[in-house]
Amino acid sequence: MSAAMTTIAATAAGPTGVASVQLLDLLCGGVLLTAVLILWRRELAAIVRLLALQGVFIAGLAALVAGAEGGVAGYLVALGVLALKTFVIPAVLRRVLADSGEARETEPLVNVAASLLAAALLTLLAYVVSQPLVALAPSAATRALPVGVAVVLLGFFVLVTRRRALSQVVGFLLLDNGITTTAFLAASGVPLVVELGVSLDVLLVVLVLQILAARMRTTFGGTDLDELNELRD
Amino acid sequence: MSAGEVVGAVVASLVQVVVVVVGAPYLTGLMRQVRARMEGRAGAGVGQPARDLRKLMAKEATSPEGASWVFRAAPLVLMSTVVVLAAAVPFVTTVTPVSGASDLFAVVAVLMLGTVALTLAGLDTGTAFGGMGASREVTVLALAEPTILLAIFALSVRVGSSDLGDIVEGALATPSQLFWPASLLAAVAFAVVIVAETGRLPVDNPSTHLELTMMHEAMVLEYSGRDLGMVELASWSRLAILLGLGVNLFVPWGVATSLAPAALALGVLALVVKVCVLGAALAAFEVFMAKLRLFRVPELLAGSLLFALLAVTASFFLA
Amino acid sequence: MIQTGLWLVALGALVGAAAVVVAPERRRHVVAGSVTALVGVGGVLAGLGGLGGSTWTAVAPGLLPLGEARLAVDALSGAFLLLIGAVAVAAGVYGIGYTAPGGRHAQDLPAAHDQHLPDAAAHHASPAASRTAQATVPLFVAAMLLVPAAASVTTFLVLWELMALTSLLLVLTEHRLRASVREAGLWYAGMTHAGLVAIMTAFALVAANVGGESFDAIRAGAADLSPTVRTVALVLVLLGFGSKAGMVPLHVWLPRAHPEAPSHVSALMSAAMVKLGVYGLIRVAFDLLGGAPRWWGLLVLALGCLSALYGVLQASVAVDLKRLLAYSTSENVGLMLIGLGAAAVFAADGNRVLAGVVMAAAVLHAFNHAAFKTVLFLGAGSVLRSTGLRDLDALGGLVRRMPVTTALVAVGTLGAAALPPGNGFVSEWVLLQGLIHSVGPGGSPVVAVSIPVAVGVVALTAGLGVATFVKAFGVGFLALPRSTAAAEATESPLPMRVGMGLAAGVCLALGLLPAVAARPLDRVLGVLPEVRSIDPLADSAVTLRLNGIAGSMSPLVIAVGLVLAGTAVVALVRRLSRGVPRRVAPAWGCGAIERDPRQEYTATSFAEPLTRVFDDVLRPEQDVDVTPLAESRYLIESVTFRQRVPDRLEARIYPPLLAAATAWGRWSRRLARGSVHTYLAYGFVGLLAALLLAGVTG
Repeated sequence: MSAAMTTIAATAAGPTGVASVQLLDLLCGGVLLTAVLILWRRELAAIVRLLALQGVFIAGLAALVAGAEGGVAGYLVALGVLALKTFVIPAVLRRVLADSGEARETEPLVNVAASLLAAALLTLLAYVVSQPLVALAPSAATRALPVGVAVVLLGFFVLVTRRRALSQVVGFLLLDNGITTTAFLAASGVPLVVELGVSLDVLLVVLVLQILAARMRTTFGGTDLDELNELRD
Repeated sequence: MSAGEVVGAVVASLVQVVVVVVGAPYLTGLMRQVRARMEGRAGAGVGQPARDLRKLMAKEATSPEGASWVFRAAPLVLMSTVVVLAAAVPFVTTVTPVSGASDLFAVVAVLMLGTVALTLAGLDTGTAFGGMGASREVTVLALAEPTILLAIFALSVRVGSSDLGDIVEGALATPSQLFWPASLLAAVAFAVVIVAETGRLPVDNPSTHLELTMMHEAMVLEYSGRDLGMVELASWSRLAILLGLGVNLFVPWGVATSLAPAALALGVLALVVKVCVLGAALAAFEVFMAKLRLFRVPELLAGSLLFALLAVTASFFLA
Repeated sequence: MIQTGLWLVALGALVGAAAVVVAPERRRHVVAGSVTALVGVGGVLAGLGGLGGSTWTAVAPGLLPLGEARLAVDALSGAFLLLIGAVAVAAGVYGIGYTAPGGRHAQDLPAAHDQHLPDAAAHHASPAASRTAQATVPLFVAAMLLVPAAASVTTFLVLWELMALTSLLLVLTEHRLRASVREAGLWYAGMTHAGLVAIMTAFALVAANVGGESFDAIRAGAADLSPTVRTVALVLVLLGFGSKAGMVPLHVWLPRAHPEAPSHVSALMSAAMVKLGVYGLIRVAFDLLGGAPRWWGLLVLALGCLSALYGVLQASVAVDLKRLLAYSTSENVGLMLIGLGAAAVFAADGNRVLAGVVMAAAVLHAFNHAAFKTVLFLGAGSVLRSTGLRDLDALGGLVRRMPVTTALVAVGTLGAAALPPGNGFVSEWVLLQGLIHSVGPGGSPVVAVSIPVAVGVVALTAGLGVATFVKAFGVGFLALPRSTAAAEATESPLPMRVGMGLAAGVCLALGLLPAVAARPLDRVLGVLPEVRSIDPLADSAVTLRLNGIAGSMSPLVIAVGLVLAGTAVVALVRRLSRGVPRRVAPAWGCGAIERDPRQEYTATSFAEPLTRVFDDVLRPEQDVDVTPLAESRYLIESVTFRQRVPDRLEARIYPPLLAAATAWGRWSRRLARGSVHTYLAYGFVGLLAALLLAGVTG
């Protein structure tokens, strides 16, 4: 089976060789695993740690893709991803967490067991919908595409079902990580400029949300988003 | 299979039974000792469970008034399932005397049969504790079942068979498959299930006798003497069996694929070493764990179900 | 053999029913039971003939108003003839004892007290022993037996309706005792007739399009049917036969009608009649229409998953023993439907090896379910007759008062819980093997997603099934009696034990030697050329081996291993314990002076963790009444806790439908003004319209 896969992989772009294919699969597995664990854990501090870990996996993915493509730009993107997703954003989140003093737990709207089952179904859905995409250019990288799509869906799920502003940010970051993963897997990397622009956008959004959360806290004394209902006339 | 081979396979199965049943008390002793040392206690020594067992076996058994033959038969049924499993599961060698007993679904069902015998005995005592333990045990059993079967599913996709011998031989033939995402996810799911099925932390606390937290201990509260000895030995052996199953599914090296005496000896040695390492690791892990609330257990099992489902999907889509 | 069997069925039922009517009252139960068993024997004979490979056709022109009566028996019919016949033999023998004078089953159940006629119940014999009820049982059995032999649309529908009407009569047997019986009858009548309408429409549509109403004509013309007709027909038969089979969400009559019918009738309905829904689906979709499309297979698979899961979930929290068994029937039908649906999907994908395996699993499970459900419903009947109780919360301790019944029920329980060496395990194993071999590289993504989910559902169903039957057996039969009625239970009369024993024997045989069924199952699948390519099960004496895929399992080896190991353990323990005797001592009463049965876990409390875990689905209704003492509200005199788990799915779906039907009925009442002239005018207008339509389209 692995021999057949190598031959397929050799015809398309992206990493080749059994070892790097396994590494790719492992990294993708790590991305998905961290996404699921984010859904599982209640403590926000643990979730931030998991996000940082996910950043490491995505950066590894970027480096792997860059190695297959050749060229320095790819490695720079990988470094940038590592810096942003593993260090900068988690640091910002930790500061919000430390400032808030409350909201140590996510308080999901759907109970954890149910959201894990939902995650299972979402992942299956991701597999089904990405099959046509995989069929377009079958390679080891595109075959792992469902992982990216699944992380996007899980991010959306977190956005929908979590109550605190900070956990909303987590959902948004998960969504962004999913998109990044998909981009690396599908397009074998993105141009440096595009990646830089997107990353800066994300950073900006996180900062804005941080300020929003701080304002909310001073106004309402909490960051329960359901309380925003009061703003409606 | 010639007559000589059948005899050889029967002998190998008996060796497995002896290794598992005799080794189980020492495995438990080892785990307790590891735990004691890590908690800064001296510990009672590796041989203590075996000594307890010998003492229990010579003592009088009591039945509560009103309990029926079910109460008396349950330890026997439990012990029989343990013996059958120890004989059928490829611990030392993948060669079995009769085909058809080492299918993984059948193995899981026989495990369940043992649990069910104990739950019925718990109900038969007619005490509040017996019923409580049985009710909780059965709940965990029911919720763990999907994870087990899906993990089996994921493992069987690899070799196209759910027979344990085939799975282990397949893994020995192409070890690189063990590092595929499907295997790793299935391993995680399986680990959670082993913890749940053997009543270890964080699902159940094997060393508690506090009525509100216990599951397994509540069921067997009315047993004493030789009955208790059998129940204890059976649950230690089940732990050994599940750990052995786990290591052989995911770390199969050392399992004999023939009946040559040297290969069998190596198989026994490899089994003992692997299970001891895994058992010690589990004990060390337990030191850092607290027992989950009963109604948080479904979350854990839902999580493991997710891993099992992903393992199945990955074995199909990433293959 | 087939002919002899069917003659025995038809004549036995007619002559037997007449004999029951004229028999003196004190002999009536013996006559009725023997006649029913005899009709069952006829079914078994015909079934064995059909499964043996012979086929048989008979045409009686002009017997039915719209055409000829046509009967034919092939291996598929034979399988279901055998199944129903065997259940009827057990239920017939059992009925001799069950309807004999004595017993508490005809008493007013305390839960459903009705305002009138409590005295009548106390003074009369069981209503199940009445002339009408006793004479209807053989007719019902004969109607069931002839349904799978029907070979034309008219014959099939007439027999189907006969079966529905006779069973409705039997469900209503105890209507004077409990109001709930009347309600159950109403639901059953409504559901079964709605189903009949769906089946009739489907058959009429197909028959009109192929230009013939015999099954042979449909088979020949099925290939030329337009896709629309096919689609409509397939959906309609799924609804019609699904409602008979107890498929969720058309299951609502099951948990009402099965508990309220006399227990031997419950066994006949739950173990045999429900299977005819499965038979109808196989016959129409896989045989007459020559295979079903993929979407239909996926639909059946989804509904099967829903039925299995919802059925077992409700069963796991049920407290009424017979209601629990009824929901468990829904669960098992769900498993069969998973098999059928997967077979359709695999066959449509061209993987006919696997399609054969899962279809074989479905048919085998029908047999296994029939066997263990017969034992269990009959066992519930014995408990009911002896104690007057169906409520698990009030039972217990029967293992000492009714040892034989308990042992036989234990055999059935092992089968129902799908544990080796029970028989339910075997068919679930075959089903799982068929499912897990379907996924592989290169298959379709929809299969790759739906099959793992189906496996998960089967697994959860199996797990919850274990919980359900540990509860039913452990709480109902073990421990201390929870009421005086349970404490005074007596063992059932001999015919009842024999009836249960027959079914339990079949359970053991199917559980230990399933490979015996390999050859007959191959013949059954031979009727379905779209499904089968090779024989799915290998014919081997001890081990069940699957052809075409790797898989073998031997329940006999496992059972023998368990017995050997048990013997060895006993011998070893004897030696180690050096003959120290066992002592019986009072159990600790938790600090109370005496142990009281009220301290025991009940069925409700046993299922509490599951109720809590599946709270979102089940939504139990609980009320707690706390009565404080007069002096202080902190001192409590008594606390009553009541919990009811209503059928949420039913509450969601049916009230709107019923409201719509009522509104429509109200509206159409305006048409009925009471004037004969108006009514004649309706008829006249209708006739004119029909003529005009014929003129325009003709």
